[in-house]
Amino acid sequence: MPSVTNNLIDTLPRTARNRLLSICEPVDLVSGHLVSGSDSLTRHVYFPTGSILSLTTSSKDTPVLEVGMVGNEGMLGLQVVLAVGSVPLQASVQGTGTAWRVATEPFNRELAGSRALQQNLNCYLQVTLLQLSSEARCVRFHQINQRLARWLLMTHDRTHADSFNVTQALIAHLLGVRRVGIAKAAGALQRKGMISYARGMLTILDRKALELETCSCYETALKTYARFMA
Amino acid sequence: MCGSEHTISPSLVTLSSKAKSADLPTAAICTPLSVQSMPPNTHFKKNRLLASLPTTEWKRWSASLESVEMPLGHVLYEPGVALNYVYFPLTSIVSLLYVMENGASAEIAVVGNEGIVGVSLFMGGESTPSRAVVQSAGLGCRLKAQLMKDEFNKAGPVLHLLLRYTQALITQMSQTAVCNRHHSLDQQLCRWLLLSLDRLEGDELVMTQELIANMLGVRREGVTEGALGLQKLGLIKYARGHITVLDRPGLEKRTCECYAVVKREYDRLLPSGISA
Repeated sequence: MPSVTNNLIDTLPRTARNRLLSICEPVDLVSGHLVSGSDSLTRHVYFPTGSILSLTTSSKDTPVLEVGMVGNEGMLGLQVVLAVGSVPLQASVQGTGTAWRVATEPFNRELAGSRALQQNLNCYLQVTLLQLSSEARCVRFHQINQRLARWLLMTHDRTHADSFNVTQALIAHLLGVRRVGIAKAAGALQRKGMISYARGMLTILDRKALELETCSCYETALKTYARFMA
Repeated sequence: MCGSEHTISPSLVTLSSKAKSADLPTAAICTPLSVQSMPPNTHFKKNRLLASLPTTEWKRWSASLESVEMPLGHVLYEPGVALNYVYFPLTSIVSLLYVMENGASAEIAVVGNEGIVGVSLFMGGESTPSRAVVQSAGLGCRLKAQLMKDEFNKAGPVLHLLLRYTQALITQMSQTAVCNRHHSLDQQLCRWLLLSLDRLEGDELVMTQELIANMLGVRREGVTEGALGLQKLGLIKYARGHITVLDRPGLEKRTCECYAVVKREYDRLLPSGISA
């Protein structure tokens, strides 16, 4: 059984929640695993409980960029809610952990009959749109140290632990920057005592300082989520 | 709606004064849009979403749709302000901008006759996150927000259409982020010109470099340099606020793949051009 719950499920009224959970299966997701390929048919939606999923663009000539991070606040597979079978985005596991998984067909049946689920997912869709527009702005205007701090805070929020496994190469890949850039920015955060990093294990030491270091995009995202999902 | 109670940001003031210097319509930057009762509403079907409505829905909607003129630079929505209407561009193009605290902005998507402005409304939002500004003057029509919500809640074909449009918009937004991160200003400029061109009837855009710089979130000098480069290559002609595309395949070759990714998704998800 997943140890942490998912907010989109938790906030459903009891009957709707139980009905949804009855079609969910618990799965263990392992970091680095590809959940769905770009343009491939969406077979499942995921409600992460302890895991973190990462949505990245994947086109042949362009380096990757992470455009969405889904933890236990969200759901992977919003295109299903939009009645679209596939998207040109790739989903992979960024943080090892558990999730609830539902096949597309039973999920659609449940969605059609559950006003509460529709409402929750509409709000989440709205949050996602906001995050996406904020992302386009952030990559244009904000410095790498701010973006790194935001990424660390977002990961921290979804990991439910102060330490997590991550390589600088992965962060560079997801943020669409060169590895030396991340090494430099991470080094600076480490010197300021905000994080420590050793043998692939990153520890958040001073969250408050990271919140001051990052751009306003982080706080905006939190507020947006609180406003829509309240 | 942009009424007198809303402050105009510095970037928009620049926008309006720029428009003036290039002999572009300056009216109605922040005045109510003029609503036209004529001509008959079949021209609403220039919007592809409206054109693909089933007969029953079309009959119900066409009685409530109002024709509006959309002058260059007009603000349809400010972020956080309640949505009174949704807009369907007919011959105009609307740009969705993310506005920063300091007034700087970056375009996150464009909406033309393939789409609708105000998707937040049917996803439970009472306001939009972005500013919606007319980027290319023309006609549009609008529907009262409450009517739109009622239609959406009826489920059926309209719901399906709007959801698919939302997915297409999501793709455009993601790709904009990617493009901002990874591609040269030159490539972005080509992408932006192509996306705009797809939403226009002719091959000419009425547009100042300042406006383009605002949209792309870059300095004006960069746009000037980029546009000059494209002109030297014979791809576009730029004169006093008018950009004419001379060699479309040339632009397509020069741009990054972001344009193709977005176009493919729009073609896949949305009804193809249907004329009235």
